[in-house]
Amino acid sequence: MKLELEHVNHRYDVDVLHDLSLIVEGYKSIAIIGVSGSGKSTLLRLLSGLEMPTGGSLRVNNHDVTAPEYRKSVGFVFQSHNLFPHLTLLENITIVLEKTRGFSRKDAREQACRFLTMLHLDDQVHKLPRNVSGGQAQRASIARALSVDPEVIFLDEPTSSLDPVLTYEVLSAIKELRELGMEFVLVSHVMSFVHDFADYVVFMDDGNIGEHGPPTILENPQSQALIDFMAKVP
Amino acid sequence: MNQLRSEALSPSEARRAFGGHAVAYSFAISTFVLFAIFVVVRQSRPFDLAAILPYRADILNGFGRTIWVSVISLIGSTSLGFFFYLLSASRVRYFRAFTDVFTEIIYGTPLLVMIMIMAFVIGPAFGSTNRALMGYVGLIVYITPYMTNIFKSAISSIGAEQYMAMDLFGFTPWQRYRYIIIPQIVRILMPPLMNNFSLIIKGSALLNVLSYRELFYEVQLMTNNNFRFVEGFLLMWLLYLMITIPLSQVTKWIDRKWGI
Repeated sequence: MKLELEHVNHRYDVDVLHDLSLIVEGYKSIAIIGVSGSGKSTLLRLLSGLEMPTGGSLRVNNHDVTAPEYRKSVGFVFQSHNLFPHLTLLENITIVLEKTRGFSRKDAREQACRFLTMLHLDDQVHKLPRNVSGGQAQRASIARALSVDPEVIFLDEPTSSLDPVLTYEVLSAIKELRELGMEFVLVSHVMSFVHDFADYVVFMDDGNIGEHGPPTILENPQSQALIDFMAKVP
Repeated sequence: MNQLRSEALSPSEARRAFGGHAVAYSFAISTFVLFAIFVVVRQSRPFDLAAILPYRADILNGFGRTIWVSVISLIGSTSLGFFFYLLSASRVRYFRAFTDVFTEIIYGTPLLVMIMIMAFVIGPAFGSTNRALMGYVGLIVYITPYMTNIFKSAISSIGAEQYMAMDLFGFTPWQRYRYIIIPQIVRILMPPLMNNFSLIIKGSALLNVLSYRELFYEVQLMTNNNFRFVEGFLLMWLLYLMITIPLSQVTKWIDRKWGI
């Protein structure tokens, strides 16, 4: 995967991202880390095309992220599963495939079942999100993100609302997907996971890119900000 | 979550829990039935339901009118409530203020006062002396802000992240409403809508003050003739409960089955 950031600025009421420039190429899973409010989730939203930057340009695999058709080529997994609550796990996927990707009912069902099975949910497909565990719902939302055949999957702290057991369950599912060759950009607080999952790490510090490089930078932090951060997170 | 919890019970535990539940409810219901019997036998005159028989057609008609006026008011206040919701969500500040002030006025008004004002003050000002019609209007206007409220909470219960997901997948505006937004709103809306319906049915009894011949009025008419207050009022009470209790049970069932 290739990420290109050129003088990216973003502000809501205050500046959230200050003039970010970065080129990363040739990695399959990139992790964005940093304290709350450092701009990591904002950066992920810009990269996925969910929000438009107030300044500068971002390209992912040579696609301009502000192009309307770009959004259809990405998968996004939200902090809380964000499944449509009135639809079963299966319907949550088939409705997307049928209504926005032009699948026939039968093909949508097959595709949905394939991904739900891949995420070990084959016995839960007809349940509503409220009737499955948080980990199962989050895995279903990963299946939904995968089902549209995205080039890159963006994960925004996918385990932050889960207890340790469910966190493990979701993270091991993500690991399996990496082995299948999927490409990821992920925001996470779970450093042990970042360490053995990501092959590139971007550390955000107060709206700037602090350090970035292979996960070994976590063992040998250079800046005071990253030293402090590593001392505080488990 | 409920389902998960019940799965955790072993079959024997589940049976015992259910048995306990049913027994507790039978005892509770029996308590109230016994109380009713106690009240009836304590009366100085013997209880004689046959005294009501000559009036049964009138009472049934009154019962029918109670249901009729309630259904009309439900439809009217739901429509008006939705319109007021649109006003309250408007970008025009005056419209938002208008609905706020309206809500405050209604919340501060007893229903009986609303009905009298509508029939004897506002109606005549618009050239209407049709008191039954003004009674309907009073009931509709009175329930409207409650309806506006349930629309507000149902619509705001669809969070920003869901809209983001709809954006991301590229649903068209029509598809969003048809497949995601409206099906959710309908499910969230049903239970409070049914509660308001129950509120309307109970409130409609006050229309008797306008000589509208609903259930309360018909029963009162009978008791004024034959002085069978005990039989008449108990029957009336029972008839109201025969609509409102099933309604609330259906509401609970819908919420369990459909709730999200």
